[in-house]
Amino acid sequence: MVILLVIALTLYLAGAFYSIYTFATKSKRPDRDLKLIIGLGFAAHTAAIVAAWQEAGHFPVISPKEVSSFIGWAIAGYYLAVSRRYNARALPAFLLPLVYLFMFVSLLLPARAEAVPRMLESAISASPVTQIIFPIHVTLVIASYAAFAVTFVCGMMYLIQERELKARRLGANSERLPALNTCDEIGYRSVTIGFVLLTLGVATGIFWNNQRDGRYWHNDPKEVMALITWIVYLFPIHYRLTAGWRGRRAAWMSIAGFAVVILTWLGARALGGYHVFG
Amino acid sequence: MGIVLVGTSHKSAPVEVRERLAFAESRLAGALRDLVDCEMISEGLIVSTCNRVELIAATPKGVHATENAVSRLYDFLSRFHQYDLSPMRKHLYHLAGPAAIKHVFRVTSSLDSMVVGEPQITGQIKEAFQRAQEAAVVGHELTRLMNRAFSVAKRVRNETGIGSSAVSISFVAVELARKVFEDLKGSAVMLLGAGEMAELAAKHLLNYGASRLLIVNRTFENAVAMAGELNGEPVRFEEFEKRLPEAEVLICSTGAPDYLIHPYQVRRALERRRNRPMLLVDISVPRNIDPAIGRLDNAFLFDVDDLESIAEANRAERKREALRAEEIIEAEAEQFFRALAEGDLNAVIGAFRQQVYEMAFSELERSRRRLGDLSEDQEQALRVMINAIVNKFTHPVIKQLRDSEDGHSPYLSAWRDLYHRDPSE
Repeated sequence: MVILLVIALTLYLAGAFYSIYTFATKSKRPDRDLKLIIGLGFAAHTAAIVAAWQEAGHFPVISPKEVSSFIGWAIAGYYLAVSRRYNARALPAFLLPLVYLFMFVSLLLPARAEAVPRMLESAISASPVTQIIFPIHVTLVIASYAAFAVTFVCGMMYLIQERELKARRLGANSERLPALNTCDEIGYRSVTIGFVLLTLGVATGIFWNNQRDGRYWHNDPKEVMALITWIVYLFPIHYRLTAGWRGRRAAWMSIAGFAVVILTWLGARALGGYHVFG
Repeated sequence: MGIVLVGTSHKSAPVEVRERLAFAESRLAGALRDLVDCEMISEGLIVSTCNRVELIAATPKGVHATENAVSRLYDFLSRFHQYDLSPMRKHLYHLAGPAAIKHVFRVTSSLDSMVVGEPQITGQIKEAFQRAQEAAVVGHELTRLMNRAFSVAKRVRNETGIGSSAVSISFVAVELARKVFEDLKGSAVMLLGAGEMAELAAKHLLNYGASRLLIVNRTFENAVAMAGELNGEPVRFEEFEKRLPEAEVLICSTGAPDYLIHPYQVRRALERRRNRPMLLVDISVPRNIDPAIGRLDNAFLFDVDDLESIAEANRAERKREALRAEEIIEAEAEQFFRALAEGDLNAVIGAFRQQVYEMAFSELERSRRRLGDLSEDQEQALRVMINAIVNKFTHPVIKQLRDSEDGHSPYLSAWRDLYHRDPSE
């Protein structure tokens, strides 16, 4: 299993370098090779996760080590999905180093830094319902983070490209980045996908709460933050549909939204509560 | 097999010389057959455009024996055009070996063009190559050379920004549109006024995928006439505001003395477009689009100075990218030449060994009668022995050939002199 992870890590690193090189040199080379590299890395990574699942007997996304690796996996998968449809130059140059970073941190972290949190024991051992719900809940939430990360990157790219155009000069950055419409479209699609995933993720969480101890809501920091995230992302989607908000405003919203995501992911841990993993 | 080249271009010769040396389309096939004499020149190719004439040829005499082939090219050129070249020599250049290969790569990759990076030349050379193929005067060597040249041109295009940016105002409009919309499929272009530059920009936009062209003019008849010409839709000036929201790109070029398009109109249009972005290009002087529009969200306004400064910056960028392209070409040309020289060398070595074998085996045949009947084992042993002797004998010569820079070995020359044999024949 470790060998699979090392293979994935190596391929991600190669992909990150490749995409940064393409970005720096403004190369117009088609990214077929890159997709192949990341595709293979993703396959190895998936195999590693499946193997870990079998070995541990529970869904292997509990310790920070596992969560970090899983986030990398989700972003890599999301990149592959996006690149099938769009020729989003520059996007991999931002995403793939991120993927590599998560993987690298994951490999550095100790295998099991802390005991399995008490509440998660139920996820591992208890009823069949929770055994199913736990992977679904975690996968949905983390996949939504990956989608929001892509929205965030698209928002940044949009703002940079827009600034170049408004300054009425086309610098090197303008050439490296995708067109405004492409940034906007990938960003909007990603935020929609992320929002749906998060909604389902929160819903499964609530369902699981109820299954476990008959309460839907605990006012746990992570629960509250997730709710805030959900509301923050509701705005751009709502206003896009009703008032045609797009472009710069949407880009700023996606950046603000991602800040909240980071807070939810890391900050909630600092605030305590039972949701302390991941 | 060597590559030689004689040519003249906008860099070396004024148009008076180039026009004298150009090959008319109708005479090209005949010229090609004339050029290739199958003795000094085994394959040939003629590139003749308004900026250059290049004779590219392969000679069977080996990579290092090209002088005669070059003078043969000069002879051909002056004979064909009935033009005494001797006073013109300074306007012509001749190249051989690696330099010729590099030149072919540079020209094909548009590094030697008047506007560096313009893509036309690659197509022109492809056509010249095709004509030579039709005349059946290109074979293995030039095919290999030209195929490599085309793939180098592709590499240069992909890996450097040499051809990526627009260096003329009308193309800058296309570049801007692609920065905003990615591709123009399904988009509409509105043309206000009838400036020549604006018309050209609109044509480019249509070529790059814009699907509709709306033409607005104060004089509706003019709009109708232009629409007929450009395959667009004429729009009455009174309906301009109503139709504006349909346009992704607005190109404005009228003789009006002041602003024709005001912020409120564009703001309204953007609202109707649900904030889908608009690109506004003002080519008129004095300007016709209020510059305040540039501050509206999702409206991107460029005036003629902006376009010119982008074109200028792109030209400078191209120069920088051309340096990177030169590096690619340098490496590719060297690699290609080395492969060519190696092929030559292998042919020489093969022939040399073959000749020594033949000498050894003919001795064997002469001794057969005295040897009597040989068993299969004995026969085999003799062959092995002869092989070993030939290898021992040829080894130092081959080693020296392989180690030499230019494919020459004094051993081989000595052997040639002693036995009156020439492995290259």
